[in-house]
Amino acid sequence: MTVPDTGVRVEPGSFRDPGNRVFHRAGEVLRGLDERSARDWRALSASDLFRDLTAAGHLVGTEELVPTPVDVPWAAVLRHDRIPFVSHPYEWSYAMLRDAALLHLDVLRAALEAGFTTKDGSAYNVQWRGARPVFIDVGSFEALRDGEPWAGYRQFCQTLLYPLLIQAHLGLDFQPFLRARIDGVEPDQMRRLFAGTRRWRAGVPTHVHLHGAMQARHADASSSDVRAQLRAAGFSRELALATVRGLTRLVRRLDHRPGDSHWTDYQRTCAYSVPDRQAKEDFVDRAAAATAPHSALDLGANDGRYARIAARHAAYVVAVEQDPGVVDVLYRALRDEGEGRILPLVMDLADPSPGGGWRGVERAAFVDRARADLVLALALVHHLAIGRNVPLPDVLDQLAALTEPGGSLVVEFVHPDDPMARRLLANKPDGLFPDYRWDAFEALLARRGRVVARAELPSGTRTLYQVVMGG
Amino acid sequence: MTGEGRKAAVTHLAYLDAGSGSLIVQAVVGGVAGVAVAAKLYWRRLVTRFRRQPTDQG
Ligand SMILES: C[S@@+](CC[C@H](N)C(=O)[O-])C[C@H]1O[C@@H](n2cnc3c(N)ncnc32)[C@H](O)[C@@H]1O
Repeated sequence: MTVPDTGVRVEPGSFRDPGNRVFHRAGEVLRGLDERSARDWRALSASDLFRDLTAAGHLVGTEELVPTPVDVPWAAVLRHDRIPFVSHPYEWSYAMLRDAALLHLDVLRAALEAGFTTKDGSAYNVQWRGARPVFIDVGSFEALRDGEPWAGYRQFCQTLLYPLLIQAHLGLDFQPFLRARIDGVEPDQMRRLFAGTRRWRAGVPTHVHLHGAMQARHADASSSDVRAQLRAAGFSRELALATVRGLTRLVRRLDHRPGDSHWTDYQRTCAYSVPDRQAKEDFVDRAAAATAPHSALDLGANDGRYARIAARHAAYVVAVEQDPGVVDVLYRALRDEGEGRILPLVMDLADPSPGGGWRGVERAAFVDRARADLVLALALVHHLAIGRNVPLPDVLDQLAALTEPGGSLVVEFVHPDDPMARRLLANKPDGLFPDYRWDAFEALLARRGRVVARAELPSGTRTLYQVVMGG
Repeated sequence: MTGEGRKAAVTHLAYLDAGSGSLIVQAVVGGVAGVAVAAKLYWRRLVTRFRRQPTDQG
């Protein structure tokens, strides 16, 4: 930390627009604006656009600090409502990315109609409150100069539209593309993916091929010259709106569902008897109530059954699951319920999001964001310890690291003779995991915290623990 | 296939750079009226270049 004395911590993910920058102080999320951005903000905050978007929950709640603090180098300082858990687009499911794109287009349409525009078009402009997307980049609004196309179109393609096209048309999970490239997928790369007859799929001829060809052709033209030429040729706000409508229609058409994957019908095919499930639900409910957590994490959340139980007692729950198809189903269900406190995320816990971008901190790593007062790891440990060969002590170290000191870890041990564990073991050489035993597991738990509750499920092959972590 | 690979530089546009090609393509995406705008833009460029040509070669 460079400036610990004033308690200001600059948000490492917010430097791309030099005119405004997010920082944290005393638990608050603040945004500093230079003179020009301050003028844009004052125009925006006085508008119906701002009032309407905020009232609809589409724009993060924002107010200006009056008077402007004197100990920071900014012309104005805004305070934003805190987003409970910051996530990255490569942690979202397909329907989440699509809804984020639709929100961005909707915000832009409303802005254009009100005489504003957004400077950029990035997926990173959107965050989540549970299953509700919210536009967070208040610094992105500026007055529309008539006759100008949307400056954010290229970014919109790279971080939102192209990933959607890749998944909807090619059936490839989009997440690895976005995780690997902080600025998204470039038109040039897209053209190669969409060669041959694929070039005729919806949205591809124009937004991919024509776009890529135009970029190559105009690589040497300055964008301010082109802006002036377009204005002279009669580009208008109506045209900009027509473009947004076209994009919206296209994104709506891309109503793809990631294939039914292995775990989607887990709840139907799993080995739980009704008494087992009942006992497990009761245990989790009691442990959550006793913890009275602010935040909760459900690891290996599947259909979110236990995330919902946690949400009875926690203010906010992040439900993490490796299978993008399963997360998509969960997200749609939560969205349709209007759920604002459970955030589903795609994440392989054996390969969680690393830090990314500049210096590896522009996008924070999952383990640096995810500490919670209540951590559920139900029917998960065997997947990591047997399925992925992670040594059992390391699995528990990771679970402990995700739990706030004094918080609870609720963990299920699936015994080696349980049918599900046997299935995983059957794929591995005999005798590979001699330490995967409940007594070894309990010893490891005891070294990391205090076991305050323990229950064996009626089937006799699974044991649940509530462990209060050190401190 | 003009410029594929050769003009790799275009893929590293700065963050708040809208990109010249990305601006023009939006006109085309906006339907008939947009195509007309793009056509006009190209026509004007052509005329400008044509007028300039004799001196350019000097
Ligand atoms: C047996 S189910 C348990 C679901 C739920 N927690 C329960 O107790 O009913 C295991 C879940 O963990 C997920 N899972 C397995 N390995 C994972 C990993 N490495 N990262 C994240 N999720 C994982 C699976 O996709 C599956 O949905």
